[in-house]
Amino acid sequence: MERIIAGFVSALRENGIRVSPGESLDAVQALGLCGMTGRKSSRQLLRLTLIKNVNDIPVFNEVFNRYFSRYKFFDSEINIPELMDAAIIDMEGEFNYLNQRQDDDHDEQGPLLKLDSDINPEDLQDLKSLSEIDPDDSDGNEIVVQMKGYRGKAKAPRPTRRYTQNPLTIELNKSNSAPTGITFTHEEQIAMQDVVSRMMMRLRKDMKRMKNDQNRGKLHVIKTIQKNYRHDMVPFQVALRRKRREKPRLVVLCDVSFSVSHASRFMLLLLHTLHNQMLDVRSFIFNREVAEITEMLANMPVNDLMETIDKGDIVDLDANSSFGQVFLAFKKRYLENLRGRPAFIILGDARNNYDEANDWVLDEIREKARYMLWLTPEERDTWKRGDCLMEVYGSYCDKVEVVKTVEDLSLVVEDLLRDIYADHAHPIDKKRLQEAKAAEVYDSKDYYTRGSSSGGEAVFDPSGRSHW
Amino acid sequence: MITEQGVKDFLKTGGYIADDAITTAVFLALRMEKPILIEGPPGVGKTGLAKALSSALDFPLVRLQCYEGIDEGKALYDWEYGKQLLYTQLLRTQLDNYLSVSADLREAVERLSAEESLFFSRNFLVQRPILRSFLSEKRSLLLIDEIDRSDDEFEALLLECLSDFQVSIPELGVIEAKRKPLTILTSNGTRMISDALRRRCLYLYIGYPDLEREVAIVRVKFPEICDTLARQMVEFLRKARELNLRKPPSVSETLDWAQVLSILKASQLTPDVVANTVGVIAKHQTDLQKVNELAVQELS
Repeated sequence: MERIIAGFVSALRENGIRVSPGESLDAVQALGLCGMTGRKSSRQLLRLTLIKNVNDIPVFNEVFNRYFSRYKFFDSEINIPELMDAAIIDMEGEFNYLNQRQDDDHDEQGPLLKLDSDINPEDLQDLKSLSEIDPDDSDGNEIVVQMKGYRGKAKAPRPTRRYTQNPLTIELNKSNSAPTGITFTHEEQIAMQDVVSRMMMRLRKDMKRMKNDQNRGKLHVIKTIQKNYRHDMVPFQVALRRKRREKPRLVVLCDVSFSVSHASRFMLLLLHTLHNQMLDVRSFIFNREVAEITEMLANMPVNDLMETIDKGDIVDLDANSSFGQVFLAFKKRYLENLRGRPAFIILGDARNNYDEANDWVLDEIREKARYMLWLTPEERDTWKRGDCLMEVYGSYCDKVEVVKTVEDLSLVVEDLLRDIYADHAHPIDKKRLQEAKAAEVYDSKDYYTRGSSSGGEAVFDPSGRSHW
Repeated sequence: MITEQGVKDFLKTGGYIADDAITTAVFLALRMEKPILIEGPPGVGKTGLAKALSSALDFPLVRLQCYEGIDEGKALYDWEYGKQLLYTQLLRTQLDNYLSVSADLREAVERLSAEESLFFSRNFLVQRPILRSFLSEKRSLLLIDEIDRSDDEFEALLLECLSDFQVSIPELGVIEAKRKPLTILTSNGTRMISDALRRRCLYLYIGYPDLEREVAIVRVKFPEICDTLARQMVEFLRKARELNLRKPPSVSETLDWAQVLSILKASQLTPDVVANTVGVIAKHQTDLQKVNELAVQELS
């Protein structure tokens, strides 16, 4: 039995579920206690002992079906309907397995099974020969990515998939191996959770220190007495009044057009994960029109939301994106009822499709905003090419950053959050933080800041930006 | 020795209708002496399971409600400073006599420090829930409720208690549990619980019950509600759960509603009845509307 469990555990591990040796020992012990009375109860036992997360349960069920259908044939008494069931489950298991693996599997055989008959053999041949092009060739990588878009999808590729040819999304693809669908795979969500939790960890340390240090002010007499009654009223421990601090506000405008869809979906996922943790976020998405998704982000499962966005239910995705229009609409509908002085993040490639720039709106937004940050997935050399208005829009922003991977994105947002928190912090803290920041090695190739062009250090300074 | 069927039966006598997964988990937790971590939406009977178990097994229930900022002084043990001070005051004369024998200051200090352990003994220890359940003469049921509300530090503090059932107190050394309590942790999933804690527990996810079980739950708690009404209620609520409400009605709402209907002596669900009692099942203004619409659609 130990062997069977060990085999099953390793099958689980292959499917990305972390199972510790201690847990497999538990499983063996549990099976010993309850006995193997039936398939259902054994499955429950194994699930209780091996699986520690709701999200892992579907994977577990699948692996269980696949793994134990194989062993059914060793039963002494052969039950025909049961065998049939096992066979069906087996087949389905295999089938699901193929379906599931199609996107990350570069092997030709599996994925092609799914191609429908209405693709004729010549097309197939073409596709196959495409993939045989040496990847070392200049465009090889791009074609592989292109292939990925076609692979396994019998219907005509949707624009999102077509745009995977875009060199920028390839750049994004490479770093996080995102599959072509717009919803998130389980791995992506885990990876995101990982990135965010690491970020939170780093942030939390700083926040906590600030919070502790913030605990200074007038003496809180009652609390001090309460705290020190055990010391015979000798005030060893002092309690001080704490200043109330408001939650930092953040407004995010996120381009969801095809050209930046990869970056924006990670932005949305990041927001989804961050939401309510420490921030008051209002999120908007836009293409040619702009819509608020704050409520949906808070209440809907993230994959459903992605699907709704992808279907074009919230903003029309077939139109050309126009930043000018969007800014105008945003000013009309939302700018007045933004509370406080939020930090603004705009994510987009600033490709305006030769529409009116309307950059004066940004000037008004900037008056409202504590801080303005533009994130673009494009390298700086391409900013002047074609319809890109990055230079124009960038001049209104405190900072323009190039983000290409989830890691980049999380680092940028982390910096921003830290800045926001620092802004709320006690003056002494602020000074210390600024000193610490100035001492950091400044890597100019990472990002471009307007501050650096005038020779100064890129220090967050809301009052000092009037000179633009 | 308890069997799985036995667990199911005594849970039923405690007024808790369990499905197979819950039964197996409880059985294993009793036999393997491992804590159970229960997750699931609010109001599906996570805490209720613990209460039912404690009354059915006749284990005293020790409950620890977690909140942000809970620490070992609130969860494990604390020293009773006031009592220590009082005792030193009261025993002053005795101490004087005791110490007056010593020749010099050095000897006095030595004599005093030899007796130091007196003041850090169990007499001055305040037992907080976890320690109390460990030291209970009878096997107890330790319920650590809503663990997701506590901080990471507290979670780390629990690791020792839950894996070895012991508490380390620097002044006294390690205190082991007399009888390992049946431990139940609940979480609503507002925060990810660390893997280290998950690894030490059996993991049970309680979702919304299926139709038959929910009807059975209503019938057990409110026998005066007839089977058809119970079925109608549960079917309606199951539809309401699919409405994408801000706070979907849970089993606890089902039971509240059943109580309300039995007080009102309703014999059948109609849109009017739902409209009058909707506040029991929907807890947001937008939800109220949606549920009413559903009632008109389904019941008229």
